[in-house]
Formats: sequence, structure tokens, C-alpha cells
Amino acid sequence: MTDLVNNPDLPTGLSDAALAIARQAGAEVAHFRIARHDSRGVSLRDGNVENVASDSTCALSVRVVLNGAWGFAGSADLTPQAALDATNRALAMARLSAQVSSDRVELVDEPSHGEVSWQMPVEVDAMAIPDSQVIELLTDWNARIAGAEVVSHIDAHAAMGRDSTYFADLNGNQITQSRDRISAQLNAIHVGESGFDDIRTCAPPAGRGWEYLTGTGWDWETELNELPELLAEKSKAPSVEPGQWDLVIDPTNLWLTIHESIGHATELDRALGYEANYAGTSFATIDKLGNFKYGSELMNVVGDRTAEHGLSTVGYDDEGVAAQEWDLVTNGILTGYQVDRSTASRIGLSRSNGCAFADSALHTPIQRMPNVSLRANSANVTTQDLIADVEKGIYIVGDKSWSIDMQRYNFQFTGQKFFEIREGKIVGQLRDVVYQSKTPDFWGSLAGLGGASTYLLGGALNCGKGQPGQVAPVSHGCPSALFRNINILNGRMEANA
Amino acid sequence: MSDLTIAQSVEIALDLLGANGGVVVSESNFSANLRWANSSLTTNGSTQDNTLSIAAFVPVDDGIGCGIASGQVRSVADIEMLVSTSTASAIAGGASEDASDLVAGPVHANFSEAPQAADFSGIEHIAKSLGVVMQDTSAQYFGYAEHSVDTMYVGTSSGTRMRFAQATSRFELCAKSPERDRSAWSGQGGTSLNDVDVLAHAKNVSQGLAHQLTKIELEPGHHKVTLSSSAVADLMIYLMWTASAREAAQGRSVFSASNGATRIGEKLSDRLISISSDPAMSGLETIDHVVNLGSSSMSSTFDTGLPIGRTSILDKGVLKALASSRFSAGEAKLPFTPLADNIEVIDQDGHGSLEELAARMIDGLLITCLWYIREVDPQSLLLTGLTRDGVYVVREGKIIGAASNFRFNDSPVGLLNRIVDAGEAIDCLPREWADWFTRSRVAPLTIEDFNLSTKSEAI
Repeated sequence: MTDLVNNPDLPTGLSDAALAIARQAGAEVAHFRIARHDSRGVSLRDGNVENVASDSTCALSVRVVLNGAWGFAGSADLTPQAALDATNRALAMARLSAQVSSDRVELVDEPSHGEVSWQMPVEVDAMAIPDSQVIELLTDWNARIAGAEVVSHIDAHAAMGRDSTYFADLNGNQITQSRDRISAQLNAIHVGESGFDDIRTCAPPAGRGWEYLTGTGWDWETELNELPELLAEKSKAPSVEPGQWDLVIDPTNLWLTIHESIGHATELDRALGYEANYAGTSFATIDKLGNFKYGSELMNVVGDRTAEHGLSTVGYDDEGVAAQEWDLVTNGILTGYQVDRSTASRIGLSRSNGCAFADSALHTPIQRMPNVSLRANSANVTTQDLIADVEKGIYIVGDKSWSIDMQRYNFQFTGQKFFEIREGKIVGQLRDVVYQSKTPDFWGSLAGLGGASTYLLGGALNCGKGQPGQVAPVSHGCPSALFRNINILNGRMEANA
Repeated sequence: MSDLTIAQSVEIALDLLGANGGVVVSESNFSANLRWANSSLTTNGSTQDNTLSIAAFVPVDDGIGCGIASGQVRSVADIEMLVSTSTASAIAGGASEDASDLVAGPVHANFSEAPQAADFSGIEHIAKSLGVVMQDTSAQYFGYAEHSVDTMYVGTSSGTRMRFAQATSRFELCAKSPERDRSAWSGQGGTSLNDVDVLAHAKNVSQGLAHQLTKIELEPGHHKVTLSSSAVADLMIYLMWTASAREAAQGRSVFSASNGATRIGEKLSDRLISISSDPAMSGLETIDHVVNLGSSSMSSTFDTGLPIGRTSILDKGVLKALASSRFSAGEAKLPFTPLADNIEVIDQDGHGSLEELAARMIDGLLITCLWYIREVDPQSLLLTGLTRDGVYVVREGKIIGAASNFRFNDSPVGLLNRIVDAGEAIDCLPREWADWFTRSRVAPLTIEDFNLSTKSEAI
């Protein structure tokens, strides 16, 4: 397979030819990309290895703006002829598109970064760890809890990935990058006379190496040891009473609510309607920038492509824009969007904040989510402090089900663990908890934030968007947080109602 | 690409696997797409891809191990690398519990032929038609069109040589009022974009927007609804994806009964409704033999080459079958049941179009699409999601306006017993799952007490 890191001559040779053709044809913009994606995964079911698999793909693509319209073409063939063919097909697509496009594509400027490279720092290269070592780790995890009487079944898996990319354009950029990600989960299932329950580890995927699964950045030991007892308690827990409850939400759950209700809502391409047929639009429309009360004054949200171990962290985006950090919500007011170079021009921004991304060279870059994170309280507030401030509430840990509407208003989430709070103390677990709200109402009810000691970078590997569909990894940092009077549904009662 | 033909790559991989054997699958894909928003074309693309995947079977201490590696092949060295990687994974994984002898599947005479050529004339047809539609300034248009041709080559060490070529197309048109307070959608799956009547879809969405001029406030709650074929497909595809014999037998599914039994044989609906998959479904044909790279509760690599027939999960209201591999079928003591890549939902008493069905409902809501469907409670298969692009209020058999969107919380299993009427099954495009599943022939259904739990302001 083509090694982008060790064989830099190949991409340069291909890109020079492709860019020359595009320039000759009069393209206003031409981006040449090669992207290699390596991934591997192991899954166990009840201690038996179910799958051991790896995948490596590499392709090139050319994206042009010609006559004010985009054209894109890609090929898995990495020959000079394929690069030329792709360039000509991209030019043809642009000519076709120009006939039916009323909006001219304009890209805001970005300084040329020249010939640069960027690599995500990891301690131990997970892609070099033998399958046997990954299986050994998961087998050990499985064995730790398999003996517990309450555990009827166990699913476990681990996955690792690396993106290696090359970008060149008419502005003299030649950018080589590499970033890694890793994740693992173990799900314990109890089957009893009255049905089944499950509970799983809450460790988020991370932009780290193998060290993550062996204790750096997550306490697997403690979490695995606690799972059987938590599952036993959950399986006997009382079903929640629907109604209004205060919630203390752990970062292992809140990251997903941030992702859906802030992350996607502040994507400029959604606000402009580009995703209207598919992922949807956003209530956070352009007229609201700088004046819309998104939530309480405690709410400060930033977008970045720079967070340490962030899944969306890069050196440069897929349009050659250098990684940055910027405000999205400031003291509860909408103050920014995620943009790429073409959407930035639509609202008069002078520079993109670097959110162009494609999950493959065979997909066109679109505006994708950076790391979107809620800032912690500057005071040293603990999760216990937040719980102590609740008369009747629920402490929610870990994510599970999620759903939100096309404009990011109405959402509904569940979780892994629900601890009932009475008069400032946890009194035991509840089950069947579903929380439902409307985005501005929910964030308006934010009444307390944990400090830096409660802050965690959560995230997902599979954020979907675009047609053809693309997936992107993304992180969301946040502290524990307290929300007042949130609508709680009972999942079992909803089904039987 | 390399000078090797795809068939040659498969044969070389099988030779390299040697006596231990395995499964080799090569997939060639040509694809082109157009996307538009705000009545202007936005992104587009034309791509070519080719992937070789190898499942290596290796004898290990107590059985056969299976490892899988996939990637693009540009030389024999790439094939050697994939064989080496998959073999190492098989050894590391140890004995596979689903290991079984590969069958001698079919040998297709056209196995050595080149991948099926792609005809992208449909893209131009769509672009030209959109040029006409976008002249209309009373609405803004959004949407997507895609045409792809996949050719799959499957070779196994047991002699199977299969070649499947499949064209898939998809067209979606969404229209919004300039004020963005109304939104309608129309979609179509199929095998060619040349079959798409863009102007007819434009007429559909225009009619939807016209109905939405009258807004009717309606509270959330349990409502009688008529779900379009697209909406029913999205719910029943999820039901099919969770209809695993192994999960049911292990007590981990809505289809579990007590003491390790399943609910097979149980009557889930008083209606004569059936949910089936069939590779020979006319017009929605799909691969008629198992091709698996990887194992799950419903599938096994070792089953590659076995024939797939028609399966009715639900047969005239009775749970009849659950999906399985040979291994999971044996464990659950149920027949081996592989599913095809299509779905048919038919009510024996169903008749008439969606509009006729909605009229027969007399009073209720006509729901165009469901969106963002996620599982809330696996035990009841409670799903949540949103209505989208048209919730029409029907009174005395006529559409009198449109309600807001709603969040639903309901189960595709639970609602089977609340179906009160059905239309004729038609080919449709599932709005939510179309990225993964397009071949759908599904009846629209009228359902009592559909749980629209909260209101959504989204348009």
C-alpha cells in the first residue's frame, strides 16, 4: 500500500500533474488530496473472539472550482493517469454544475503554509500492537467480570485507526498529516426472569495510542471492577417516576447532548440550508449571531481543532486551513459558527476556522464538526458539590440512546447509570430514565458547573453527515453540570402507554 | 489500477491461502452524485473504487481461526500483504465458535468478466430536469441524486465463484417555502436515475407545501396515524435488523420468551401482515447467496456460498422466523435463516394508495417521513424519532391542513397489533436508512394510538 509518510515523492508527482491540468483549464481553485485510512478491530462475545479484522484504503481526489461551481472526482487508482482522469472528471462535473448553480462558490483566503507536516502525538503506536495483545487485553477484561452471578453475557471490543493525508493546492501548499484514534467498550448483560438489563464502560474514544487501553487517561481497572455490582443494583432498581427532575449530568453523558444540541446547531452549512434534505438545518440562524440567548450565563462553548487528544484535532483542515480555537457561545449568547472556506465567505468572514473534512479521498470535503466543548467552572466545584445542591434529582452517567430533530430543538437522551438524589445525597439507582427537552430551554436551565477536576473529553467516532454519507470522529469536553426541572419520561411506560 | 483483472486477484489470493482456505471478495464500485440546496447545485462527485477482502481460515489448537483483512490491490504484493495480515489475525483469534465447512457454492460463467460498466446519463437527466424545477421561485429546492454500480466477485476455497452486479439509484427532493415555515419531501429508490420523473416529484412536494398553508395546532398524545410506505419501511427495517435468533434465544431481545425460548409462533398482529425478504423480489432483486466477511449473531463468514431464499419473519401476523447463521441457528435450535438485502411489508387485506388509505382513516394524521430513529428500550424495541416534512391533518377523509412535527416513542413490534388498515405495498425509499438500505416494497399503514410524545418546532 502507498505509504504517505515514507514515500512523499509519490503524492508530489501525482499532485503536480493534476494541479497543472486544473490550472490550464482555468480552475479558480484546485485541491489535490491523497488519503490513506487504516483501521483494525477485535470483538469478543462471551469471551469468544467473534471478529479480528483490519482495513486499509488509499485513494486520490481532485476538487476544483470552475466557472464558480464545484467539481469533484476521485479514484482508488494511484497512477499519474488516474490523477489526470480524476482532474478531467472534476472539471466536467464543475461545468455541468455551473449550468444549474445560481450561487457562485467563493473561498476566503488562507495564507499558504508551504511544505509542512503534522503528526498527532501518541506514546505507543496502537497500529503496531499485535492482534494477540489486543485479544489478550479484552480476554482479561472479560474474565474479570464473567464470574459475577449477575452477568449473563459480555460483549467487548476494541478499535484503532489512523488517517494519513496529503493535501496540495494552487497556492503552493503541500501538507502531510497523520492522526490516530482508539476506543474500547465492554457491555455486561443481565438476563433475569423479568427481562434483561445492561451496563457498559463509559470510556470515550480518544486521540491517543495503545497507552489509553492500559491506563493512561482512563481508569479501566476501577470501572471494570465496579460493573457487576452496578449491574446487579440496576437490575433491581425501581423504575423512574415521570415528571420534572433536577439533573446532575456527568461528562460521560453530557458530551453527547453538547454534540447534538450545540455541535450540530452551530454548523454554518446547516444554518445556510446546505444539509436541509438530509441532516437538517439549525434553529441558530444567521440573524441570531451575537444576540440569541442560547442558555444561562454559565454557558461558554468553544470550537477547536487543537485540543490535546481530541478526535477532531489536526494541524490543517482539508482545505489547507491551519487549526484554531474560537468561541461559539459566550456567557450564554450565540457568538460563532463552525465554517469552511466557502461557507465563511457566505457570511462575510475573512478567514475560515478550519472545519473542512472528508472521511475519504473519495468523498468531497464538507464542513464537519471540530471539537466543541463546554468550559468548566473557574472555581473548584466538584460533582459532589453539584449533587449536594439538589433536593430531588438524578445523577446521569454514561451515554446510550440519543435523538434530536432536524433543527436541533427537541431532543431525547438516555444513559447508562441513573442515581437518584434525595436531599443532596445519592440514595440508589433508578432505571428506565429518559430525559427530553428543547435546546434553549435545557441550556437555559443550566444552574451549576463543575470545575476543572470534573472536566472530561468525551466523543464519538461515528458522527454522520452529508450525502453521500460521511462519518467523522469528534471530541467534546465538558465538566459535570446541574440542570433544573428537566422533563423525565419512563422508557418502559412510553412503550406500554 | 494494476494489470491484474479482479478475477485474477481473487484466484491469486485463494492460491496464497493454500490448503487452509478461506473466502475472498472483491468489490468494484463506480458512483456519481449530485447535491443541491437553496435551488442551486452544491457538491457533486464521480468516484471509482475497488477493494479486496480476505477471510483467512487457519487451523489452530482446537479448531479453525478466521481473520479478515481488506484493502485496495495495486500489485501482487498487496494481495500477499492482505493474505499475510488476515492469516496472522486468524491465528491470533484462535478457534472461531462458528467455524464450519464451506459449501461448494455456485460457479458463475461470467466470473472472469470485467466489472459492469456504469451508465451515468441519469445524472445529466437529473441536472437538466432540476434546471426546470429550480425556475420556480415560490419554493426553494434541496436534494440529492446518486447512481452507483457495484460488481462483487466472491471466491472460496471450496470452489465457489460468484459474480454479482447491482445498480442502485436514489433520488430525493425537498422543497421549503421561502419563509422556511413549510417543508415537504419526495423520494425514490431504484436502479436508474433515468426512471426518475423529477417534475412529478416536484408536483408532489408542491402539493405538500400547499397543504401546509393551513396550520393546525395539535397537542402531543396518542393519535391515529397513517404512515407512508417510507415511514413504515424505516420502522420495519429496524425490526428486521433486530430479529436475531441468537439474541432472542439468549434472552436479549424483544423476540425473547422466558427460559431460553423465542417468541416464534406467537401472534403479534391480528392483521394478515407479513414482513419478508426475498432475493428474487421482482424489480428489487438482490444477491441470492450468502456473502459474509465477519461474523455476528445473525451471520457467519463460514456460511458464504449458501443460498438465500425467501424468508418471512412475520407471516400473516405470526412471528415465523428469526435471522441466523448456521452456527447461531444450531445454538438456538432453529432453522438456518439468512436474510436478503431487501424488505417487503404486505398486508393481505391492504388496498389502495396512500391517499386513499388516509381518506379511509376519516380522522387522524398522515405522516410523510420519520427521522433520527434510535432505540430507547431494547426489551420492548421502543424506538424514538421525529416526524419530518409533512404531518397532515385529516378530517372527514380530507386533508385540511398541517400540524407541527412531533417526537414519537413507539415500538414497531408493539404497533403491529394496532394496525387498523393498510394500503397496497409500493416500492419506496426509506428516508432514515437509505444510506444502508434502499430495496423496499412496503404498504402504508394506519395505526391506532401511535405515541406522539412531545411536540417539535422543527420545520
